[in-house]
Amino acid sequence: MNCERYKEKMVEALARGEGAVHGELAAHVRACGACREFYEAQVDLFGAIDFGVRVMVNETVPASLLPGLRARVAEDGVARQPRGFTWGVATFAVVAVLAVSVCLLRRGPGNSSRVVDRSPVVAREVDGPHSVTPRQPQVVAAAPIHARAQHEVAMAPQVGAAAPEVLILPEEQAAFIRFVTDLPEERKAAVALTQPATEAKDEAVEIALLQIDELDLKPLESSNQ
Amino acid sequence: MRELVLTQPGRVLVGPSERESESCRSHGEFEERLAECGPLAFRVAYGVLRNAADAEDVAQEALLKAYRNFGRLREPARFRGWLVRIAFRMALDRWRSAKRREKRETEWKGPERSAVGPTVEELAVSSEFQERLERAMEELPEKFRLVLLLAAIQGYTLEEVSEMLGIPMGTVKSRLFFARKQLAEKLR
Repeated sequence: MNCERYKEKMVEALARGEGAVHGELAAHVRACGACREFYEAQVDLFGAIDFGVRVMVNETVPASLLPGLRARVAEDGVARQPRGFTWGVATFAVVAVLAVSVCLLRRGPGNSSRVVDRSPVVAREVDGPHSVTPRQPQVVAAAPIHARAQHEVAMAPQVGAAAPEVLILPEEQAAFIRFVTDLPEERKAAVALTQPATEAKDEAVEIALLQIDELDLKPLESSNQ
Repeated sequence: MRELVLTQPGRVLVGPSERESESCRSHGEFEERLAECGPLAFRVAYGVLRNAADAEDVAQEALLKAYRNFGRLREPARFRGWLVRIAFRMALDRWRSAKRREKRETEWKGPERSAVGPTVEELAVSSEFQERLERAMEELPEKFRLVLLLAAIQGYTLEEVSEMLGIPMGTVKSRLFFARKQLAEKLR
């Protein structure tokens, strides 16, 4: 190994944080004056780097750090309250839109009686496996369903595969419940949103003409000259 | 009207009072961690910014951000590492924007600035080597720089750095090795 290779080894040993060199490398450092000089310079350099970095990060922590943070946390809490309310309103709006769309689906022209009415499906299955059932909107619900409906769901999975699903997240449900229970003044709005809107007819609106009693017109300065 | 809800199995709806107590609990846990994590965030930020006021501001912002998201943290044991990364990233962003501003100002009033020399305090505090070291550190890749800073903070072992960053011990050592080697090359 030549001196350049030994120098590389020295630098790597120091970069790994080894305090001293060992074995063949140590023997070479003892024997070669130039390499010994280089090694000593590198020891000083790495020592200075370590010291410099330690100085850089171990600055005294200002006493105002945590009190300042607590003040900012308190400010932040106050500032964020209306924002949370906005999210609640937004969640309510989503739930309300979903509820309205479900109502509209239920009252659609192809479903005059019920949305989930599976008796025809059961009857057709008796006729044969290739019988075609009419596509109907369907609502999948994890809420309590009576035993017959559960049995029918198990009997006719192929209908559910083609029908739309309405999924409501538990967070949305919780937000809706909270909204309805906590804000009694909004309850009417919640109920109103679940009802189909009455069709309003356009009516002509008359706007009275603008009348000015006194109008004082002054000539411009430039017109006097 | 049938209830149209598809609830996830095993999920329990949390009432307002339970939510409040949950919030208080997470606030208490956050307070417990502040004593250790506040100084840590400050030191990481200071290592990048080299200015106590800026570092304090960044540390507070990082802690505030951590506070806002503390309740959503899946693994509270990872809080330290999470905070360190936030503080480091925010400090880097601030440092970069300060550099850009400084560059713009230098370009705008270059001749006037060159006439103003460093103050006595600046000369006393910052030696030539320290300045070169800072410049060399700025050029280090971010992942090397973060490990180098964390390993230099008093009271933290390499095992703790490894745990904090969620990386193997070997990776910490190797990053430290390359960081120190690169610094030595730049400063030689």
